[in-house]
Amino acid sequence: MIEFQDASVVAPGTTVRILEPTTLTLAERRVAIIGANGSGKSTLARLINGLVLPSTGSVTVDGRDTRRDAAAVRRSVGFLFTDPSAQLIMPTAAEDVALSLRRTVKGKGERASAALAALESIGLGDKGSVSVHALSGGQRQLLALAGVLAVGPSIIVADEPTTLLDLRWRAHVDALLAGLDQQVIEVTHDLDAASRADRVIVMESGSVAFDGKPRAAVAAYRRLMAGT
Amino acid sequence: MGLFGLYRERHTPLHRAPAWAKMLGLVLAAAWLAWCTVPAWSVASALVAIALLASTLPPLGPTLRGVVPVLVIAAATGAYQLWQGDARLAVDLAADFVSLICLSLAVTTSTPLDESMGLVSAAARPLRRWIPPEALALVFSLTIRALPELTRILAESRDAARSRGLDRSPRAMLIPAGVRTVGYALAVGDAITARGLADEAVSVSRRGPVRR
Repeated sequence: MIEFQDASVVAPGTTVRILEPTTLTLAERRVAIIGANGSGKSTLARLINGLVLPSTGSVTVDGRDTRRDAAAVRRSVGFLFTDPSAQLIMPTAAEDVALSLRRTVKGKGERASAALAALESIGLGDKGSVSVHALSGGQRQLLALAGVLAVGPSIIVADEPTTLLDLRWRAHVDALLAGLDQQVIEVTHDLDAASRADRVIVMESGSVAFDGKPRAAVAAYRRLMAGT
Repeated sequence: MGLFGLYRERHTPLHRAPAWAKMLGLVLAAAWLAWCTVPAWSVASALVAIALLASTLPPLGPTLRGVVPVLVIAAATGAYQLWQGDARLAVDLAADFVSLICLSLAVTTSTPLDESMGLVSAAARPLRRWIPPEALALVFSLTIRALPELTRILAESRDAARSRGLDRSPRAMLIPAGVRTVGYALAVGDAITARGLADEAVSVSRRGPVRR
């Protein structure tokens, strides 16, 4: 369970508030965060695994504070970025997944097998020795997901994971995320994807403008965007 | 992609050799090439290096794309020495260039980066009081990973400058390239933090890897 307790974020070196004091409890399996560009969606998502620390208040994940216990929080919260290129560090797909496993699996052979299994689980079993540069955008996003899933997190935070993908890959990644056992918090501009969530949070100017069921939330978002 | 990311899983003798032995061999070969100035020996060394590279069964296209620019430099260097009237030095230098690039590629194509990271980490262990070895290994792999990205950023910035008719303005290319490079570095930093690799590099260095 993720809990925001009066968590706010001020831009470093300024007094500009990116996120107003926010109190939320996220316990649903699928939560979507929607809103205009610059409304604070990504900041809210980044608070969950400690990529951004709250300027005031606190954020806890399963009772662990992201400020005091950052490493443990990051082990249980996987993060998927919009552009997977920055997330992929090693030259080949299998090596990149194996890098995620360096902490937990010592043996080289064992690590290679676990990496291959992780790739197979998301349909990239035949891409293990392929250079990450040779993969398509969709395949790179899947690879990034494999690297995240390999360490067995209980929560996945995805920051616009399908924004750069074509329709086919978008549907594929959406389906994969929908089928995960983990709790998934997804920042998205895709209102169809948001409509499939259990709960949708609408952000506007650094605050939660609406929080509720998808249908009502999407309607509220449309009203906000129309300026009414 | 350049010369990095050329590793392919194969079952050749060099693939089976430990990373430290290959690195040591590379250092010794470089020392031998610097010491030896007999053209016949340099040419023989180049032939051996080419054979070693071929024995790793490298991917043809990417390997050639990486080798050709170095061959051009070798040919130009040799041609310059020939023009200066020193045929022996021309052959020696050109052959040494070819030897070094082929030997380096033979190591790259037969050694997974994971193993190289392990080697860097092991080599840095005596310095662990000052620098976490796992962190150093991560820096090593990030440096290698960043090279093709930086090349791509530069190429895209150059194309953008050209499309605005600013072909001759270094500023029009270098400023966007610099800004994007910083952006890329920040994004990679975020990704490393999000994957827990930064926490890991420090904790593994202190405790050693966790056994499952």
